[in-house]
Amino acid sequence: MSALSMTGVRAGYNDLNVLRGIDISVMPGEICGLIGPNGAGKSTLLRSVIGLGVRMEGAITLCGEDIASIPRSRMARLVSYLPQNFNPSSRLSVFETVLLGRHPYRRGWSMDSREDLETARLCMEETDTWHLRERSFSNLSGGEKRLVMLASALAQEPRLLLLDEPGSSLDFRHQLSMWKLLRKLSGNGIAVVVSTHEVALAGRYMDSVLLLSGGRSAAFGSPKEVFTAGILSEVFQVDLTVLHDGMTDSWVVVPGP
Amino acid sequence: MRRRAGRGPSAGFWALLAAMIAVASFISLLSGPMSDPPGWVVTGLRLPRLVLALLTGAALSVSGCVLQSILRNDLATPYTLGISAGAGVVAGSVIVSGLVLPVLGMVALGTLGALLAVTLVYTLASRAGRNDRGSSLILAGVTMNLVGASVLLLFEYFSDASRVLEIVRWMMGDLSVIGWSKPLFLLPVVLAGVAAVELRTGVMNQISQGDDIAHSRGVHVYRERNLLLASAAVLAGSTVGAAGPIGFVGLMVPHIMRRFAGSDYRYLVPASALGGMLLVVLADSMSRVVASPAELPIGIVMSLTGGPFFLVLLLRSGRHVEDG
Repeated sequence: MSALSMTGVRAGYNDLNVLRGIDISVMPGEICGLIGPNGAGKSTLLRSVIGLGVRMEGAITLCGEDIASIPRSRMARLVSYLPQNFNPSSRLSVFETVLLGRHPYRRGWSMDSREDLETARLCMEETDTWHLRERSFSNLSGGEKRLVMLASALAQEPRLLLLDEPGSSLDFRHQLSMWKLLRKLSGNGIAVVVSTHEVALAGRYMDSVLLLSGGRSAAFGSPKEVFTAGILSEVFQVDLTVLHDGMTDSWVVVPGP
Repeated sequence: MRRRAGRGPSAGFWALLAAMIAVASFISLLSGPMSDPPGWVVTGLRLPRLVLALLTGAALSVSGCVLQSILRNDLATPYTLGISAGAGVVAGSVIVSGLVLPVLGMVALGTLGALLAVTLVYTLASRAGRNDRGSSLILAGVTMNLVGASVLLLFEYFSDASRVLEIVRWMMGDLSVIGWSKPLFLLPVVLAGVAAVELRTGVMNQISQGDDIAHSRGVHVYRERNLLLASAAVLAGSTVGAAGPIGFVGLMVPHIMRRFAGSDYRYLVPASALGGMLLVVLADSMSRVVASPAELPIGIVMSLTGGPFFLVLLLRSGRHVEDG
């Protein structure tokens, strides 16, 4: 059973149609990349899965269940979402910020349980942020904040992780660590849908790629099937050459025929 | 005082705060001249006044906490969204009309005025700024405050001298009471309001992370924000109706308490409630002592002492007050 299935999905905001006729299926343990030009609908696709301010038609199922029938509290245990831009206004410590990811497991007022504290610690260790635990979140660098928010998203213990350009503002080392972490998470059965512009890393770590263009699916398949000069040049409307490095199984996209 | 992540401030913090309130309350009962029989002054005047001060402090502080959370702005206060303007215009119109309402009527009308103002501000902001509702709310609220202040000035302009004096006196804040009707009416309103907010502190924490993240964690952001706004309006509106507008409490107390209790609203809200009680009781005692036997309006005492104290605190903390 697929972790996420979208069939004939159209989505948009008010009178604006952004996505048209999207069909994808992401299995548990799979990393699916969303790639496309700015404004192609990558963020809208992620938002439509959790019904975040998006008008949606078509069918979306999570672990076999229609999203319309899933209560929001349970949805938050199935899916966690990290937006492209976030700006928490509070002055919580890093550890407190990660602990907020445990909200879906609380009912009413409660203190953090031993399980909450332990889960938060594990998620921080996985994202290499445990050493930041006492610091104020607002004083972190942009990259550190992103990793902490990723830890907070993991603290929801989701079966599907939706990430909107998580690698932006991360340096090479942390980008690579993050992709390795996503690979490790997928090894534990978590499905990951991630929008990104990092084609080289996408090809190396993703199982499937949805190439979006003008809100439509231009191609969906393995990186090998999607990353061709013809398809990418047409979608990005520039002449591109695609080079594949067999040693690292990475793709490099460079301008020019 | 070290805070433990996930556990809030230590028991010592709460005990110290409670002890300080107890001492401040004792001082308050004994502050000022005792012209009438001391027993009656204490039980008939000062004790109900003390309870009113405690309730007012808790309500305004918690209201400030709520608004700072849902507007994601550290400068938000119960007055930012026009809550006091709404309550003030209603109270001012009652004074101008010469109606003599029972105490409870004034409190109820103040609450109603605050709720109407918040509803109006929220409706206007929703239509004006779908993409940045926080800023639109603050802009609409500031406008509401200015309009409310102008309406009160208009009332004064067309009123006779005694009514003008009554309005001006009311605008300076007044905790003086005779008997228990006012504090006893306010008691269940404030208790229910603070309890309603405290039960939603987990949600406030999520909303302070941003609407998108809060939504993804299962929070009905729109519904919860409305409920919290209504709670803040009831808390502030009822106290404005009972004691007039008392500034700075809703701004200052959450700021001070963040330094000791942290920013987790589960602990910040009760800490602010207690901190607000302490501050208003101390300010009320001071208002009776500074110019004794005359009594200064508490609103003036609060602004004159709270304002500079708050500025010093900001400078010493070396932090910037971030704009949402």
